[in-house]
Amino acid sequence: MSKTYWKGVEELRNDAEFVRLKNNEFPEHLPLDEVLGEKAADITTTPRRDFLKFLGFSVAAASLAACEAPVRKTIPYLVKPEQVTPGVADWYASTYFDGYDYSSILVKTREGRPIKIEGNVLSGVTKGGVNARVQASVLSLYDSARLKNPVADGGPSTWANVDGAIKSKLDELAAKKGNIRILSSTIISPSTRSIIKEFASKYPTTKHITYDAVSCSAMLQANKESFGVEAIPSYNFDKANVIVAFDCDFLVNWISPIEHSRLYAETRKLNNGKKEMSRHIQFESALSLTGSNADKRIGIKPSMQGAAIANLYNAVAKLAGVSTVNAASVGENQKDIEATAKELWENKGKSVVVCGINHVAIQNLVNGMNSLLGNYGTTVDLDNPCMLRQGNDAELASLMDEMNKGEVAALFIYNSNPVYTLSNSFAEALKKVSLSVSFSDRADETASQCKFICPDHHQLESWGDAEPKKDQYSLTQPTIAPLFSTRQFQESLLVWSGNAITNYHDYLKSYWKEFFFKNAPLSIATEDHWNKLLQSGVFGGALMPAKNYQSSANLNTSADAVSKMSGSGIEMVVYEKTGIGNGLQANNPWLQELPDPVSKVTWDNYLAVSPKDAREKGWLQGNVVQVKANGNTVKVPVFIQPGQMPGTVSLAIGYGRTKTGKVADNVGVNAYVFASMIGGNLSYSASGVEISKTTDEDHVLATTQSHHTMMGRAIVKETTLEEYIRKPNAGNEEELFAVRVGKEEVKKTAKEVNLWDDHAEGNHHWGMSIDLNSCIGCGSCVVACTAENNVAVVGKAEVIRSREMHWMRIDRYFSSDADPKEGEKGDIKKMENPSDMPKVVFQPVMCQHCAHAPCETVCPVIATSHSSEGMNQMIYNRCVGTRYCANNCPYKVRRFNWFKYSDNAKFDFNMNDDLGKMVLNPDVVVRSRGVMEKCSLCVQRIQEVKLNAKRDGRTVKDGEVKTACSQSCPTQAITFGDYKVKDSELNKMWKPEERSYHLLEELDVQPNVFYQTKVRNVEEEKHS
Amino acid sequence: MHNESYQRCKLFLFLILILSLGSISGASAQDGEALFKTNCAACHAVKDRVVGPALQGIENRRSEEWLLKWVKNSQDVVKSGDEYAVKLFNDFNKVMMPSQNLKDDEIKAILAYVKKEAEKVEQPAAGAATSQEPEETGKNTFLYLLIGAVLLLLVTSVLRRIQHMLARTVRQKEGLPEQAPRSRWQSFVHWARHNKKLVAVILILMTLYGSGKAWYGMQSIGISQGYTPDQPIKFSHQVHSGTNAIACVYCHSGAEKGKTAGVPSANVCMNCHKFIKKGPLTGTVEIAKIYKALDYDPDKGTYGPNPKPIQWVRVHNLPDLSYFNHSQHFVVGKIACQTCHGPVQDSMTVASQYSPLTMGWCINCHRTTQVKMTGNAYYNEYHKEMSAKYGSDSLITVEKIGGTECARCHY
Repeated sequence: MSKTYWKGVEELRNDAEFVRLKNNEFPEHLPLDEVLGEKAADITTTPRRDFLKFLGFSVAAASLAACEAPVRKTIPYLVKPEQVTPGVADWYASTYFDGYDYSSILVKTREGRPIKIEGNVLSGVTKGGVNARVQASVLSLYDSARLKNPVADGGPSTWANVDGAIKSKLDELAAKKGNIRILSSTIISPSTRSIIKEFASKYPTTKHITYDAVSCSAMLQANKESFGVEAIPSYNFDKANVIVAFDCDFLVNWISPIEHSRLYAETRKLNNGKKEMSRHIQFESALSLTGSNADKRIGIKPSMQGAAIANLYNAVAKLAGVSTVNAASVGENQKDIEATAKELWENKGKSVVVCGINHVAIQNLVNGMNSLLGNYGTTVDLDNPCMLRQGNDAELASLMDEMNKGEVAALFIYNSNPVYTLSNSFAEALKKVSLSVSFSDRADETASQCKFICPDHHQLESWGDAEPKKDQYSLTQPTIAPLFSTRQFQESLLVWSGNAITNYHDYLKSYWKEFFFKNAPLSIATEDHWNKLLQSGVFGGALMPAKNYQSSANLNTSADAVSKMSGSGIEMVVYEKTGIGNGLQANNPWLQELPDPVSKVTWDNYLAVSPKDAREKGWLQGNVVQVKANGNTVKVPVFIQPGQMPGTVSLAIGYGRTKTGKVADNVGVNAYVFASMIGGNLSYSASGVEISKTTDEDHVLATTQSHHTMMGRAIVKETTLEEYIRKPNAGNEEELFAVRVGKEEVKKTAKEVNLWDDHAEGNHHWGMSIDLNSCIGCGSCVVACTAENNVAVVGKAEVIRSREMHWMRIDRYFSSDADPKEGEKGDIKKMENPSDMPKVVFQPVMCQHCAHAPCETVCPVIATSHSSEGMNQMIYNRCVGTRYCANNCPYKVRRFNWFKYSDNAKFDFNMNDDLGKMVLNPDVVVRSRGVMEKCSLCVQRIQEVKLNAKRDGRTVKDGEVKTACSQSCPTQAITFGDYKVKDSELNKMWKPEERSYHLLEELDVQPNVFYQTKVRNVEEEKHS
Repeated sequence: MHNESYQRCKLFLFLILILSLGSISGASAQDGEALFKTNCAACHAVKDRVVGPALQGIENRRSEEWLLKWVKNSQDVVKSGDEYAVKLFNDFNKVMMPSQNLKDDEIKAILAYVKKEAEKVEQPAAGAATSQEPEETGKNTFLYLLIGAVLLLLVTSVLRRIQHMLARTVRQKEGLPEQAPRSRWQSFVHWARHNKKLVAVILILMTLYGSGKAWYGMQSIGISQGYTPDQPIKFSHQVHSGTNAIACVYCHSGAEKGKTAGVPSANVCMNCHKFIKKGPLTGTVEIAKIYKALDYDPDKGTYGPNPKPIQWVRVHNLPDLSYFNHSQHFVVGKIACQTCHGPVQDSMTVASQYSPLTMGWCINCHRTTQVKMTGNAYYNEYHKEMSAKYGSDSLITVEKIGGTECARCHY
């Protein structure tokens, strides 16, 4: 391998802080001095004598307390629901859509409590995929910041009072013909749209405005101009050989990321002898997760994106022999653009160009390009449009206008937080509305300024339906009775509009009954039919055949508009992070603690700057700078991000919340202030950004980046497609090690010098394969693991001390083309040659379940041992906390409980309140202080499947056991299975003569987890 | 004394054996018992009025011919206007006895069984009396020993005094000077000095006894074997699963499906107690508590709006750190409930923790219990593998298939 990876700029620079952390990976500080020291004795009221007294007393008390077990009650149901068996999970098909993320889901409930969300494989849209945010939403259900009753004028009220007040006010306004406005994020529920329509017919002055905080309004408008269809197409990435993306994080954030990532991964897999993969070219300025996965990444400033697209259009047009448009020069990038155009043209009809810029003219050019390439009908499907973004920026602008003029009498805000996302301008306008009602589940930035808050149910308490794609439906059913006195938005509207049916469940049923009467034979519109639909969760007609479309937009006008775009000075990109997204679920500690896949920072947003700029401007990691753009100013810490385009900075939205709850309030800064309305559309970039260093104390960013170093060893194996085709084990050649036999030195494989006896094998031998080619690093598995295994949230301060508890981490390595021989000499500093656009690889690492585990041999109390089924077992109640195992683990996957994270006011997250604890998985122990923990390979899930098989008297089916991570992976990069089943998927994946390898093979610890070499579709870079 | 109680125990067991042999003598009665339990026991008992009347002496009350007709289709008999039948129907809240699909000789077998049961009705009582005895004897022996010890002490001290007096008299007679009187402690020290070996032996024995006691005492910390808390309702397992032979999983249905066997919900109680309003031990008092919990009016047969759950006291408290699944043991392992829960049907009026529930107890069973591999397709391949390895099936214990590995129960 000619590449050397470093874990972050700290390692590259060999910072003093990094060296300190590296040498002190397991901090040893014990607070003895604080308790026993002379100074402490003077200051505190606990001198030694008292300490000994307490010690003696607590020993006595503990032994006395141990003698008597507390009386525990057991309270059975009075009338047990037939389908509930205590101790056995029930699964319900449902739908998650919060105006941002969509997924058809299955909800696992235990004793009536939803505890985990998994994907519904029956869905034709998400195909069983979920992402981190959808999975974490189960914890948002148990958020103690949720409102427990309706609110009127800032004080608690009752539904009867609120209904009375709102209804009379509505009637009064209706008599005066006052304007009534409903402002919501995208609504994909057909029945909800119908309810709004009925409300509007009762109050004819009503108008519904859709506003998405992360808007795709320009795409809708452009498609209308280009094709006469105001819709967002479905993108069939699986049919694309070449994928070109402009500022578009389509794998984790853009429109329908769960769907995209699954289809994208199809084209990247090289299993079963497949030798082809797609080529992915990304043009962007901030290093996005999607960009990290690209084969080729080209840095373009936000202001130059339009020019780049126009030039790419021209290059394609030249190849197609049609007329070109006016385009500004892009300088040295022209070469890359020409090459890209050539690749696109060679894959006509099998390529796709996507663009995440909310600009009509740019989107028109992209549409023109896709239609020139004949992609409509194959990779771009306008006949089965995606419904997930319907926000209309122009309508929002006119609403604001109306509000400012005082023409809006009543405003209903549903699933939207405009005071936060549109900042002060909206707050000012809101004051001029006489009746303002929010349906927010908490008194957030907007709701707290409304006259009434009529809290909506959480998704998991709601009924509902969804139409993510035209004529493809998914149903939502409640999985728990409402926890608080909340009411669904739909029901509130039904009540206020005086509908005959005020129960939304009844309304929903009658709505669909009518639908089926219209669309299908009478016989199926029965209760039984409805129940079956609920059971599977999804239904819909066959997909329409996708047609080819030719753009009819005037591209010259568009190109002229684009060429007028200009930027000056430092430019800023406002982007969404993989965990927090648009900030709706910011108060979710699982998402806050999920390290950002690219920066590995938790609990913060920051100004990502390029290493070059940082060097030139003298910015250091954590320096607090003042950022001024669009007339707004914020103070934010600097984060040096390799891959960030020099001359640009980026800042994530979703942070800087002030009224969402104890977890997220005042975490980071609000970047929405830098998104402004430009040319009728919300623009998520700014130019002429002024950045000045402040004298504020440095901000410590809680990053998991510099921890758990593999000390520069080759742990991610990588090759190119060309090499792989030529030699399937390229990048994975067997290594030989010098061994002394007698007096001679001979070269042997690690396996040949093995000293250990093998373990006896039982009925199963579990193992796991991780395909680095499919892994996009999205972190879905990390959240799944957290939910399944009751992994504690430790908070920012503890993450800074490298004490995060995640059983699974996703290592992210940057590469450089520096000479590795310099590195071998031991001086990493000499390799200091940061390329501004490094290649990025992701590698999920959890316990490797070594057959010859180094941890097992060092445990003095045998708290970690090997099972006959190939697992490395960790037994908490046996562990005495020596941490020898963690020190001896070459993969650094063991986590020590430095504290008791449950019922501890210092860790005020979900495990510290009764409500938050409802999310815990009752089959997994909540660990206490002083014990080690690590990935168990979801042993509880294995045991459950085994037991089911035994009870049914059958063998375990291949693929029946899924670990939380393998189940949740949207790209199916993780395969779990049984080595003992000859034709199992796992055994099919194990091809050491091709891509399969074990991490740190030279140690020959014989892990039961193996990886597949990463293959990149790069042509120009040949490796020796 | 131990020997004695052991002998008594043996005698008692022998008695039970004789009794049980006696009870299975008649072949038809045996069949009758099975038939009775499957078809009749849900509503009838031999001695007690349950949903239906007590069947004791039925052969005297009604003719066999009438009974055959009644059992096969009681509705017809009532409709025919049979005076006895109509009265019976009215007496039992007009609840119709369901028609039984039984052949004549089967019904006769049941009647024979009922007769037999009715005749030996006093015997279990005798058995119960015997069962009390060993414990009583144990207590008595201890008392006797205590009295003996006290007597012995008295005799010794009297003898000692006499010896002292005699010695003094001898000294006086011989004109020797009188010894300075020794305090009790001094005399003990004097004695100890002259019997060093004995003192040493006693000390060693006492130390050994003390540490042994402490060792075993400490081991029992946290073990609640025999824990029999008072319950809000004096529910008797003996009446339900013993006398009325209701299968354990009728109420504890979770044992077949999942990890917890579960305390039945009150609606399960009502399956029978809608009709059975009076119990043999506590009459209506305890059953009324179920009604109260459900806010049920037994006279009107209606449910009210204010039900309140019953707060049972949990008897078996396995620590959170260990995972136990009932269905694994009951369904897959085919372990009888009684193996761990004891003779619930015979002796437990109130549920009690029969087993220590310690890890050692679990492991010991896993070490000795043979895995039921035959007939379960899950084990087909593995069975072949293990048979080849161990030869005999009886050697394939739970331990051999990894049943004592940590992560089978701890995760």
